[in-house]
Amino acid sequence: MAVDESYRTFTHPLYGLLEKVPGLTLAATTADIVLTWGLQHSLWAFPMATSCCGIEFMATMTSRFDMDQFGTFTRPTPRQCDVMVVSGTVTVKMAPRVKKLWDFMPEPKWCVAMGSCAISGDFYRDIYSVVPGIDTFIPVDVYVPGCPPAPDHVHAGMHQLAEKIRLQRAGEWNPEQDRPERPLLCKPSIPAIGDPDRDPSVDEAQVLSALNMGPGCTVDPIAPGRGRREG
Amino acid sequence: MAFNPPFPPLAAALLAERFGLQDCPPEGPFVPREQLVELARTLKEELHYSYFVHCTAIHHPGTDELPEHCVVVYALRKLGQGSHVLRFRVRVPQGETTPSLARVWVGADWEEREQFDLLGVRFQGHPDLRRIMLPEDWQGHPLRKEYAIDTPHFPWR
Repeated sequence: MAVDESYRTFTHPLYGLLEKVPGLTLAATTADIVLTWGLQHSLWAFPMATSCCGIEFMATMTSRFDMDQFGTFTRPTPRQCDVMVVSGTVTVKMAPRVKKLWDFMPEPKWCVAMGSCAISGDFYRDIYSVVPGIDTFIPVDVYVPGCPPAPDHVHAGMHQLAEKIRLQRAGEWNPEQDRPERPLLCKPSIPAIGDPDRDPSVDEAQVLSALNMGPGCTVDPIAPGRGRREG
Repeated sequence: MAFNPPFPPLAAALLAERFGLQDCPPEGPFVPREQLVELARTLKEELHYSYFVHCTAIHHPGTDELPEHCVVVYALRKLGQGSHVLRFRVRVPQGETTPSLARVWVGADWEEREQFDLLGVRFQGHPDLRRIMLPEDWQGHPLRKEYAIDTPHFPWR
């Protein structure tokens, strides 16, 4: 089971300030150990089940294999999740949606590529509509190979991810020289606020939509007959 | 049970009498495009083939005898006692249209969209002929013989 190097590091902005206060460093490191322990044992997963590996992922969540005992359970919204488990073939039509849901997830976040289709496209790789591996557009942390992988393989993958998180937080995970070239598509599809590449019209649209929310909403979100074909 | 049962005799008699289709092989007779809708209505209303099973298509790149064309295959099912499947086919020359059966069977709507999406068969009179499986910005029809399987689709592949 291969573990990929992460492109992201997460340090809280408070850490720099704490070091200046005498005595607080010890407290901060102790708190960090506790926080890391909590982090690696409560990995909430977003089931990005695009095909048959999703069935195996569901089996992993059932009482027989019971992922809950390790603190991993699925949430229906990417806003509440830490790990995106991409299980299955990602097609050209699905890829923008996967990317969008990945961008919805708050940092820190991790990605598990489950099954050989998500890793490389496998025998669908050369087909006109299949993306050859999700690591062309999402930074993948753990690859779980198999067609499909058995539930205990998924368990092992999540354990490896927890171990990787512990090493990252402890500062022991630093294979900088082996880090592969970052693909261009791994960038967020909409740049963050303050990024020079960010289009100002996106900010305007967000402000406009924020103003239109609430009881004084000017735009009716569900217009009558929407989504229905006439005739 | 035969894998390919013979063409239903009652339907064969009706097709021979009304539409002059003498030869009805089990995989279905070739129907002229002009008579397609009339034949479909007859099969539905008089012989009660009420269930539209599927519609599929094959692209032929063209030989000396036959120019480039698509063959659209329709399959219908009669429900209830003695339930069986009936098939018929239509040849659509390259660049021409074929009448849509979406007004006869509602189930034909998405099936015809699929054939348009993957093979580029144009159905005349279809209520909503859009792509159904591939993304909206897709170029070409991938199940045609001239389509290169490794055609890139920027930026995903």
